[in-house]
Formats: sequence, structure tokens, C-alpha cells
Amino acid sequence: MGLNQAGLERHPCAVAFRPRSLWLPQDIVAGPQGAPVTHRLPRLIAPLAALALALTACTAGSSTTPTPATGSGGSTGGASTEKITLGLIAEPANLDFTKTDGAAIPQALLVNVYEGLVKLDQDGKIVPALATSWKVSDDHKTYTFELAPGAKFTNGAAFTADDAVFSINRVKTDWTTSLKAAMDVVTEAKALSPTQLQVTLAAPSNDWLYRMTTHLGAMFSKTGVDDLANKPIGTGPYTFTSWNRGDSITLTRNESYWGTKPFYQSVVLKYFKDATALNNALLTGTINVVTTVQAPEALGQFTSNPKYQVIEGTTNGEVLLSFNNKNDIFKDKRVRQAVRYGIDHKALMDTCWAGKGTLIGSFVPPTDPWYEDLTGVTPFSKEKATALLTEAGKVGATLRLRVPTLPYAVSCGQVVKAQLEAVGFKVALESLEFPAAWLAQVFKGGDFDMSIVAHVEPRDLKAVFGNPDYYTHYGTADIQALLKAADEGSADEQVANLKKVGRLLAEDAAADVLFLLPNLMVADKGITGLPKNGIAVAFDLSKLAKG
Amino acid sequence: MSRLSRGAEALLPPRGRRSRLGVGATLIVGGGIVAVIAILAVISLVWTPFDVGEINAAERLATPSTRHWLGTDKFGRDVVSLLMVGSRTTLLVGLVSVGVAAVVGVPLGILSAMVPKWWGEVVMRANDLLLAFPALLLAIMLTAVHGQGVVTAMIAIGISTIPSFARVVRSGAIGVMKTEYVLAARAAGRRPVAIAARHVLPNVGSLVIVQASVSFAIAVLAEAALSYLGLGAPPGTPSWGRMLQEGQELLFVAPRLELYPGVAIALAVLGFNLLGDGLRDRFDPRLEDRR
Repeated sequence: MGLNQAGLERHPCAVAFRPRSLWLPQDIVAGPQGAPVTHRLPRLIAPLAALALALTACTAGSSTTPTPATGSGGSTGGASTEKITLGLIAEPANLDFTKTDGAAIPQALLVNVYEGLVKLDQDGKIVPALATSWKVSDDHKTYTFELAPGAKFTNGAAFTADDAVFSINRVKTDWTTSLKAAMDVVTEAKALSPTQLQVTLAAPSNDWLYRMTTHLGAMFSKTGVDDLANKPIGTGPYTFTSWNRGDSITLTRNESYWGTKPFYQSVVLKYFKDATALNNALLTGTINVVTTVQAPEALGQFTSNPKYQVIEGTTNGEVLLSFNNKNDIFKDKRVRQAVRYGIDHKALMDTCWAGKGTLIGSFVPPTDPWYEDLTGVTPFSKEKATALLTEAGKVGATLRLRVPTLPYAVSCGQVVKAQLEAVGFKVALESLEFPAAWLAQVFKGGDFDMSIVAHVEPRDLKAVFGNPDYYTHYGTADIQALLKAADEGSADEQVANLKKVGRLLAEDAAADVLFLLPNLMVADKGITGLPKNGIAVAFDLSKLAKG
Repeated sequence: MSRLSRGAEALLPPRGRRSRLGVGATLIVGGGIVAVIAILAVISLVWTPFDVGEINAAERLATPSTRHWLGTDKFGRDVVSLLMVGSRTTLLVGLVSVGVAAVVGVPLGILSAMVPKWWGEVVMRANDLLLAFPALLLAIMLTAVHGQGVVTAMIAIGISTIPSFARVVRSGAIGVMKTEYVLAARAAGRRPVAIAARHVLPNVGSLVIVQASVSFAIAVLAEAALSYLGLGAPPGTPSWGRMLQEGQELLFVAPRLELYPGVAIALAVLGFNLLGDGLRDRFDPRLEDRR
């Protein structure tokens, strides 16, 4: 703790203005005096600058200026005493992602409360987190990580290589979620020194390091895993403070964080069951950010309002029109291709998702290094679709399109039906209650010809198309060979091989990717640092600030 | 209400005149609304302004104009055409579910009036049990087992309407069973089935017609509710409830898409209710003294 902070916290300005800034952050943005000058400055500033700033805040006499509290030692951000409330969909069941599946837990806790050795940046690149750097041996089997000195858990214990070894080993012994299988490739993790960790793999695996950016790689304290479901303890920029079940989770800035401290003192994650209620909460000022706009049509009410900013990025969510490749009708490649040729993807995205999203043509999102625009492989052509269908002798064949009761699936299902019927198919469209009925009948039961669902898991080529037992029933031998070579080869080989997989899937028409879901967020104007692309399992709150 | 004193009764308007006027009006308005819906449904079989199966990205969310009288929805489908075709689903569900209820409920009501008293009580208590079970819950359960669809919705609504038919018919039938001609028929040795068909059924017929009309209104509402919840008409099948559901996400962008099906449902329910009221005023024997 520096002298700065102690001095400022007792400063009359801070005391006088904290309540207002805590409760009415939106007033400050929209207030007559505009956004405070202090927040336009870059977040990474030296302590001296922070002191100067604080003084400016007072001497300027701006009654709406919140006083920034500076951080400790050499890593201060523009830390403030403000609170921000984010609106999310789907509340976690508990806080223990080692035993409970579900995206909501790592979304809230990873990167924010827990940190891994590595994390994913906004472009999909693996970047340092608790490991400042790492080396890979020539045989691609040994990873040596240099760990950040000075990192501390919120229970006071220092983060050392022993904790990293403990966390990695604990995946195999204590985790129960499906993700744990990704750690099987590790044969040994050992601490070379308190800040040096060596991990040895049984076989080369590019995928392993990537999976370490997810919650699989979260670092736990040896002395802090007693009650993970209720008391998460990590090294992250925030600490878990409280959970008002059915309503919200509150995180508070970790004042002893080893890295750059976040701007907001308190972040409230408020959960909504209904998309309309979520949007309304922003309109009424209950929340500051809608983290996912569920219906793109609803954006209209925000785009025209100068109080809000709309943030549009990409995700990993490929909306897949899946084929049941085990069914006789889809054993004929011409039928599969006819479906792909018969769908006007642009018109489809325009009608069922308000034109938001990206057309990608295959199963690789643009944020993966092996992305290629493959929309040209089977461009929309009614004539070609009808010709292929006639050639296969399947004109008038009925396809059972069984979609889950999810907004995008039901919407797109109707468009797919109309478009495929225009080229000579008959489509029986049916919606099944999601998740239970859809999972039982389509996903597990295989009772369908086609279905529509967004695959949001990152880097899921192998999971979806590398396994003949998966509901797509694809996983041909050549695809499997390419996937294996990609995992074991160098970074360049990985890219080259996975590009081939993407192209092969498009050419062989293993399925049709309708479009890539957009990441749509709406926030009060002036809030910065929101993760534009929804491509990581975590929702990174550490860079949030007010500009 | 308990009986009014003579003085108080005198203050009320003359009964006969009021109800005669009322009967005509409700019957005509109700019948008129129902007739319009039925005619639109029939016309939609051969002609609609636009094809409802056609998806047109270029014309999505069009506002009302001379081309699209009520505009288009988010798929670019013409709302007038959707409402017309949707009325078919509404009428079909109403007809079949009321049919199911009548076919089961009427014989059940007559039976419970003709069998020995304690047997009738058993039947009616079973009836009460069914009545206590919410129709929507029953429909959700059936959908879970048999899958979503108009047929499931019709059967679910039909089953949950059985008790009201059985009740009404039973009370009417008990009265008929006590009449001299039934006693005479029994004394003459006619079989119970013949008595039920020749004497009881024709005399409770008016009750059934009135009940059918009221149940029709309930069925229209139930179908809309089920489709709104995604348990009725499958996607792609125009239905007023489904239109409501699809319009929900556009509530702040194009509120008219909620308004049209909402008004249609309200009108249809009003129409069938008025028709039911009018028919009851005319046919219900319990209101004999009013005429």
C-alpha cells in the first residue's frame, strides 16, 4: 500500500463524492458536467500521475468527479470507488466449476477471480497470465513456465509453482466435469523452483496449452479449496464478495492484486431469466451493461438512443444445420451438397437474425488461426441444388428438421424449411423443448435428419466432426488423421492441417454452417474495456473502465 | 342472490322486455363475429393476399401499406394472410377439442344421471378430479410425452373440457329422468340405451350447444396460450398464438405485430362468448321463466 492511497482515501473529496459515484454511476456519465476529465486518461499510469490526477479532481471543483483511489506499488490503474452492474443470462448453479458443468461459472470467475497460467486475448491468441513466459521443448512435449513473482491468493498465501503443480494434479484426482479429460495428456507437473514450473506431456498436444486458457487451467491455492462452491479463492483482480441467489453476484476489487488493478471497486453481475427484462433493466438504469443481447431485433431500441453504445463482435458460436450422416438420405453426398447449395445464407441471416453475424462457410470462426472464408465452396444456387437433388433421385424427399426451442433455432428453422422446399425437398419442421427433449431425442437419440443448434464451445472441430459417435455421425478416417496431425505438429502444421479439415468439411458437405453468432452488447455510453468478442469462456472484467 | 322483497323486485326493470332485447343483440353480434372469422378461414383455403410459406428478406417488418394492409412480420410474411390462415388453426382446434369433449362428456353426463345414485357420484367425483387439473399443465404433460403439435393441443384442450360438459349434461339429464314420459318409457320396458338416445339426449341438446359455444371460446384462448408457449402449432404453421410469440421479441421495435393477433384472439373469444350467452338466453331451460 503506497502512501498515495492512504492519503487519498482520507481526502475530503473522496469522502464527499463516494456515495454518489457508488450509487449513480450513470448520472456521472449523463450529468451536465459530462464525463470527468480524469477518466479520459489511459488506465496504465504511474503513481505520480495518479497523485496528480487526484489533485486535479479536487482542484477542478467538479462535484461529479469521483476520486480515483490509486493502487499499490508499481502497478496502479485508474482505480476508482465506483460500482458497475452487468446484466447476464443464466445464473450459475454453484461456484465450483471443478465439479459442475455450465458456462456461467467460468464466465463469472475465470480471469476475474481465478487466473490461469495463460489466457486468451481478444484476437484468440494465447497470452501470458500467471506465467510470464514459457518455453516448449523441441519434441513439443515439455513446457517450462516462468511464473509471476509476487502473485498472491486472496486468502493471503503466495502463489508458487507448488500451487500450480497442485492445481494441475487436482484436475485428474478431484475434478468431475467432462473438461477434465483434456488434462489426461499430462504425465508430470513439477516445480523446478518457486517461480518455475515444468509440465511434461505424454504426446505433443497443441490443444493442451489452449485448454489451459479455459477454467481447466485455473490456479487454486493449496490451502483454499475447502469450499469452492461458495468461497472461491484465486489470484485474480477481483475477489468474490457475495452471492444473492436468484439475483446477483458481487465481486470486489482485490486491493492486493499483483498486476494492474481494475478501475471499478465493485462489479455486480446481475442475472436475468428473460431477455426482455434484461433489456428493460438497462433502459431503467438498473444495470449498466447488457452482456448478451438475446434478440438482435431488440437492438433497435438502443441504437437510436445517444445514451447507449452498441458493441458488436464475434463469437465461437457456429449456428450449425447438422445432418444425421448415419441416415440413408445423407449418405449420398449430392443430397448433402444440395442442402448447402439450396440455402441462401445471406437472406437467412437477414431474416432470422436481423443481418447480425458473420457468414463463414465452414466450422471455423474468424478468431481461430486456421480460419478461411469458405462461403464460396457451395455458393447459393437454386438450379445447382435442384440438379444435384434430381441426379440423386431424391426430389420430394422429406427431411425431418427437429430444432430445439431456442429463438435462433426456431427462427432459422422456418427459413431453412422455406428455402429447401423451394429447391425440391419436403421439410417437416418440429421444435423440441430445450434442453431435455432435444437432448434426449436428437442429441442422444439420433431421431432426426437435420437439426439447428449453435456450437459455442471454442475450437470444437474435433468434438463435432472428429467423432463418429457424436450426433453428427461424421468423423471420417481422413478427418481424424488430419486432426491428430494438427494436435501433434508444430504451430504451422497445426494451422495447415486444420485449414484442410475446414475445407474438407465444406467440400464434403458434412453439415451446413448457417452463420456465426454475433457478440452483441449494449452499454451505457462511456464504459470502456468490454470484451468485444465473445470467444473465451471467461468474461474479462479487469479492463472495464469509464472513458 | 337471495330472493328480493316484493318492493325491491318492483324497482327492477321489467324482465321480459330487457332480455328479449338482450338476447337478440348478443346473439347477432356474437354470431356475426364468429361468422366473419369462419368466412375468412374458408376464404384462406383458396385465396390469401400472399403466400404465408414464402420468406422475403427484402420486405421484412414492412409497415402497413396498400400492398401489405397490416404490414409484414420479421420473415417478410404478410400479416393479413397470416391472420387469415391462423384463423383456420384456431377454428380447427376449437372444433376438434370441443368435439372430443362433447363426445366423451355428454355420454358420461347422461350415464351418471341414469345409473344408481352412488355410481353417478363416483363418476362425478372422478370428473371433479379432472376438473381440478389445470388444462395448461395437462397440455404441457401431453406435449412432453407425444411431442408438440396441433393434434396434441386439441386433445389436451378437449380432455380438460370434458368435465364441464359432463356436469352440465348430468344436471339436465337428472331432471329429464324424473319426467313422466321417461317414467312411462321405463314402465313400458324400454332399454336404458333407447331412453338415453330417444328421450334424454334430445332434451339436453340445447344445453350441449350452449356449453359448446362457451367451451369454444376457452379452447381458442387455450390454443393461443399453448402456441405462445411453443407447445401448440409447430413453427411454420400460422397460428395467432404463435404470431404473439414471434412478435414478443419485437415488442419495442414493431408493437403492431403483437397488437394484430392479440386483437384477433380477443375478438374471437368475445364472439364465441357472446354467441354462447345469446344461445343460452334462448335455449337454456333453466332460464325458462325469463322468456
